Amino acid sequence: MRKLLFFLLLFLLTETSLAQRPGEGLTLLPERPQAPDFELTDIDGDTHRLSDYRGKVLIINFWATWCPPCREEMPSMQRAWVNIKEEGILMLAVNVGEDEDRIFEFTASYPVEFPLLMDQDSTVVGAWPVRGLPTTFVVDPQGRLVYRAIGGREWDDPELLAPVRALKE
Amino acid sequence: MRTEPNRRRVSAAGVTFLAFAAIMLFGTAGAEVITAKDPETGLLSWTWREGGISIELVQRLPDQTRAFFLGRGFPGEAADLVGRSCVFQTIFRNDGERPVAYDLDDWAVLFRGSRLPLQTRKTWEKEWQAKGIDQAARIAFRWSLLPTTQGFEPGDYNWGMTSFGLSPGERFDLELVISVGGERVVGEIPALVCAADR
Repeated sequence: MRKLLFFLLLFLLTETSLAQRPGEGLTLLPERPQAPDFELTDIDGDTHRLSDYRGKVLIINFWATWCPPCREEMPSMQRAWVNIKEEGILMLAVNVGEDEDRIFEFTASYPVEFPLLMDQDSTVVGAWPVRGLPTTFVVDPQGRLVYRAIGGREWDDPELLAPVRALKE
Repeated sequence: MRTEPNRRRVSAAGVTFLAFAAIMLFGTAGAEVITAKDPETGLLSWTWREGGISIELVQRLPDQTRAFFLGRGFPGEAADLVGRSCVFQTIFRNDGERPVAYDLDDWAVLFRGSRLPLQTRKTWEKEWQAKGIDQAARIAFRWSLLPTTQGFEPGDYNWGMTSFGLSPGERFDLELVISVGGERVVGEIPALVCAADR
């Protein structure tokens, strides 16, 4: 038991001390490839099809509970969500490879209100241009990938969100 | 087009961490390697830096890695195999001004006069298929490793484990190859140490 606690403490110390600095900015994808469609359920059992959101600006984040930078950016995503949902911008977070129980457990420490979708067999993330977690895309109203961020970001930073908001205009 | 950078934060723990750092400068191409010991965990780290690009390798204890994968559905024997494979937590950042790309298959472990390949997602996937490890565990494993190939625009970064296939406590040098704005850059991190099996 003491050994388990030691490694838990070690994990928390190493993972949190390393996960302090977010990435910066959004990369424009000049070719604007079409976002691969998907149909996934969220942890409340609701189904989400990407094609149903055509006409909206979407932020789509691929993540996992064990991924330190993913955890690090979640609170800023929630803070951003509080503002952007009023503006008609949507946010979806696609969990890669984990089940409802593990995600529910995670939300006890990281409460978020935007939909948490489950890609348990990783077929959706496999169809998207994602190699590491977290990776986030901004999808324009035509369903195209416009911006990408590899690694965590401070999503409530107004400068980061400015180009996302501009896609509505 | 790039959007404006957001603010950076450095924690007090990070400052303490760096206070223990020792810097070794390498003459080739202006790269530097910083070695450090975390005063709280005792784990060693090595950071290679050049032109705003940094590659940080932090020791992971075999038990730390075993516990992680046991918690993700791996049987004890498989978790032990990974735990004893010289695993480092790796943070690759591009805070420079040009795009960066890498392929871990171009990197080499320099060990006792031999050049050895890294153990990548593909290497391990074959192992897990042969051992009949279930899909959920394999998915968790695949995504927890540093991507085998990746491209970073300025401001991007990834975390992930890298495994070097050596026994706990072994020493080795790492030859790394990256592309910076299309230009090939070769670097070396000397005298890395796989964490001991405490």
